[in-house]
Amino acid sequence: MSHQPNSLQMKGQDLKTQKPHSQVMELILHLRQIIDEYSRQLKIRHLQKDLEQEKQQHGQDIKDQEVIFVQLLGEVVNFLQAGATSILEPQLPRLSLDSRGGDGQQAQLPRKPDQLSDQLSDSKTAVLSCDLSNRGIDISASYKSSFKDFIAYIGDKYQEDKNALGFINLGLSENKLCIDLLTERLSQSDMNYIDDDLLQYPDWSGHAFLRKEVAQFLTHYCKAPEQLDPENVVVLSGCCAIFSALTLVLCNPGDAFLTVTPFYSGFTFTSSLYVNVELIPVYLDSEITGANTQPFQLTVDKLEKALLEAGFKGKKVRGLVLINPNNPLGDIYSRDSLKEYLEFAKRNNLHVIIDEIYMGTVFDESIPFHSVLSMESLPDPNRTHVIWGTSKGFGISGFRFGTLYTHNKEVASAVGAFGFLHGISGITQHKLCRLLQDREWIDNVYLPTNRSRMQEAHKYITNMLKTLKIPFLNRDSGLYIWINLKEYLDPCTFEEEQQLYRRFLDHKLLLAPGKAYKCKEPGWFRITFADKPQRLEVAMNRFSQALSEQKQYLAEKHEAHTGGI
Amino acid sequence: MCTLSKKESRAPTTCPGLDPNSGDGLERECSRKPEQKLPEHCGVGDPTPEFSVSSHLSSRGRMSKWFWDSAEEGYRTYHMDEYDEDKNPNGIINLGTSENKLCFDLLSSRLSQGDMLQVRPSLLQYPDWRGHLFLREEVARFLSFYCKSHAPLKPENVVVLNGCSSLFSALATVLCEVGEAFLIPAPYYGAITQHVYLYGNVRLVYVYLNSEVTELDTRPFQLTVEKLEVALKGANAKGVKVKGLILINPQNPLGDIYSPEELKEYLEFAKRHELHVVMDEVYMLSVFEESLGYRSVLSLERLPDPQRTHVMWATSKDFGMSGLRFGTLYTENQDVATAVASLCRYHGLSGLVQHQVAQLLQDRDWINQVYLPENHARLKAAHAYVSGELRGLGIPFLNRGAGFFIWADLRKHLPKATFEEERLLWRRFLDNKVLVSFGEAFECKEPGWFRLVFSDKAHRLRLGMQRVRKVLTGAPQMLEDPPSSQTQEPTGQHN
Repeated sequence: MSHQPNSLQMKGQDLKTQKPHSQVMELILHLRQIIDEYSRQLKIRHLQKDLEQEKQQHGQDIKDQEVIFVQLLGEVVNFLQAGATSILEPQLPRLSLDSRGGDGQQAQLPRKPDQLSDQLSDSKTAVLSCDLSNRGIDISASYKSSFKDFIAYIGDKYQEDKNALGFINLGLSENKLCIDLLTERLSQSDMNYIDDDLLQYPDWSGHAFLRKEVAQFLTHYCKAPEQLDPENVVVLSGCCAIFSALTLVLCNPGDAFLTVTPFYSGFTFTSSLYVNVELIPVYLDSEITGANTQPFQLTVDKLEKALLEAGFKGKKVRGLVLINPNNPLGDIYSRDSLKEYLEFAKRNNLHVIIDEIYMGTVFDESIPFHSVLSMESLPDPNRTHVIWGTSKGFGISGFRFGTLYTHNKEVASAVGAFGFLHGISGITQHKLCRLLQDREWIDNVYLPTNRSRMQEAHKYITNMLKTLKIPFLNRDSGLYIWINLKEYLDPCTFEEEQQLYRRFLDHKLLLAPGKAYKCKEPGWFRITFADKPQRLEVAMNRFSQALSEQKQYLAEKHEAHTGGI
Repeated sequence: MCTLSKKESRAPTTCPGLDPNSGDGLERECSRKPEQKLPEHCGVGDPTPEFSVSSHLSSRGRMSKWFWDSAEEGYRTYHMDEYDEDKNPNGIINLGTSENKLCFDLLSSRLSQGDMLQVRPSLLQYPDWRGHLFLREEVARFLSFYCKSHAPLKPENVVVLNGCSSLFSALATVLCEVGEAFLIPAPYYGAITQHVYLYGNVRLVYVYLNSEVTELDTRPFQLTVEKLEVALKGANAKGVKVKGLILINPQNPLGDIYSPEELKEYLEFAKRHELHVVMDEVYMLSVFEESLGYRSVLSLERLPDPQRTHVMWATSKDFGMSGLRFGTLYTENQDVATAVASLCRYHGLSGLVQHQVAQLLQDRDWINQVYLPENHARLKAAHAYVSGELRGLGIPFLNRGAGFFIWADLRKHLPKATFEEERLLWRRFLDNKVLVSFGEAFECKEPGWFRLVFSDKAHRLRLGMQRVRKVLTGAPQMLEDPPSSQTQEPTGQHN
């Protein structure tokens, strides 16, 4: 994270803190080397010596290493105390300012009453604190900060004829390209079936007819080598519900999952506030260095490092969350990388939750998508859990449908037990079943139309971005594009990112700022392209207007700054 | 299908939250008088017994699965061998699940009408997490009318989600810290234990009610402010922080209705102690004896503590559609509404169903002239039949005019007054192909009470009651049988 000085005085401090910072880094690297060396020795010794000898040597080794370790840690602490307080001071107010904006980050921060009451500026703050539990206050504050703009959008949606000044939401990952097809399909008479069973208490894992259909659907579209088993399917009210029930049955309170970051914000919210599971970010960089061949590339090395660091902090890491195709990057993992990640998890006894909800959004047919369910042999089938839903591929987020597929029957039945908290209406289950069953419509009508509309929309937006000279990740899946607006931030901070977000909002345009995904680098935004051409056109007009306004603002600021000196 | 607790020899023998003994280390101190004979007045539920080790599940996961395997066992046995007049005449009759099966004909035909079938793009997209505005408006109008509120209720105080179980879970989370508790008069609808525990980690403190009518009481199992005070003191003495009170009105499983005076007393009690009150009114339109004069808490002229009074209602009971998964919260406390709404992203319901519910609730003609009169008449007839049968068998029961069930006293059919005997009797019912619910599942203190659901079709009720009669009258020689060798955990209670 870069530390942006706010004044001349702080510039001085920054220089001062630069030194201990790099020294701390060196020390940490040194520590890392020692530990690596230690574990390598242990492995070799394990092969060479017999058990008794090893035990004795082991004890001595541990003592030796502990001494070095404590000394080094002491040095780290000294450095931090001496120099780093000046780093922390300018950071704290910035954190609280950032969290005021519309993002999902709030959930992850420890509760700071002042900061929260600051957010909830309405007069009820006093009442609130005695009515709600602490977590209730956090939940409420987080909701207000992250959904305020969404609620504003819901109440004031853009409509070409009726509300031309309404909000256009390109911050929400929603596929609005094929609503006509779905509306038509869902209006057909086979959808409107009602019987007594649909109106009664269901099997909490989902009606058998739907679970059977989901198993068949996934077998076909994930290209599973064998028929998938309906007993391994659980259907609940959306993928967030699946994620929260799944993490709950896998984690004791306070346990952790590794998340490849930038990471989908919806899951963050659930875990910390409802399930009490910690999500530990595995940060990816935009810069292409060493082993990386593309920006934000995930490597096993980064996973290993994050796991090791979490271990140092005493975290109990239970698993790894992967999103493939990735949200917000749009990346698709190759079969080989996927396998590497799964092998990494297996080596470390980690569960893998893999969210494949964007599987149906790969709009370039030449790009192969590999579902984990397509693998001939999963490294650790009992610890591999797949999430899928109809919100993205079929663009019916309003259906509230998510499904889990896991080979682990114990996990399936424990998650199924949550059906009474995350149940789907029987009537809805029937409709979903009919929809997934209609392969002819899916293959001949829906998929081709959806694909070509997505291609067009993607092309339109990327061309606009190119014209505006905005760097972006050019990918072939997802409903969005990950764009880089660093150029428009000065200084390049999350505070400025938030300002820019607000500027878009002033132009009645919602985008998703990188901070919502815990991206480490300020300036990234996710822009959804899966919208009607007419709306996209209006949105892009607003987009470029906001940006030129921002440019002017930067110029004025620069002028004032240089003029001042 | 079960691989976990049932196979373990040390599997717990009762449902964790439902076992009065699991929290017994604390319980003894609670009783006001140390004498053994006096009934205890409160107990703290402890839903965290020892579970067998599993390689994959967390302790919470094991518990959730345990709830599933045990509490649902009767229900699943029933599902594997469901009675069907033609296809499976020897299958199990379900008098255990509190569902209204009397009006599917009316509901199916109403839900098939043209207005229900509309599909609009906005219904297919991400909703406002509080629920679509059109539905919240309709719910506010509906509740204003049927709860007879003094002033019109407001849509901004309404939150819509997929059922009252979810609502309990969300409310517990936003009102209580981990480990804090709600007071609840027992016997009560036992599933609430897991609703508030699984995500919220919130416990229940039972306010035990007795069947015996003594001094101050005018009816069996009567709730009084004194009992609430004692239970609250007991919980405090054990270091359990109580944040609220859960009341079910009409009550499940008793079928009792609280008078407005009683309601006010309970609400004043809560106010004195700064407790939230969660009012579960899911049976409010299932009062089939009109003379009872049921009053919703929303009808009170002045709520003692409106900011801490939260009302829940659903279509599961009153409209007999538990499979629709629609529940709603009404609270004047905007912070509570907002906090619950933010958890609705895990408990949302389809836009198309929201449309259907709104259509249903706004059709007052159909509700007032077709559905309610017919539903009440059918409930009344079914109730009359089952209560007549019970009288014929000489079984005492609470004769109430609300809900779908009768709370019956089978104590004299237990050779010993223990919960083990209660479960043996339950098992004999199940062996004779009739599923009922036993009192322990409702945290009843006295072994021998059972809940019988009567809201079912006449032919099934007849057969069900024949089987009940067979068990109770033909039972003596069976009492000599050794206990069942099965290690499966029986629980009759599903909902």
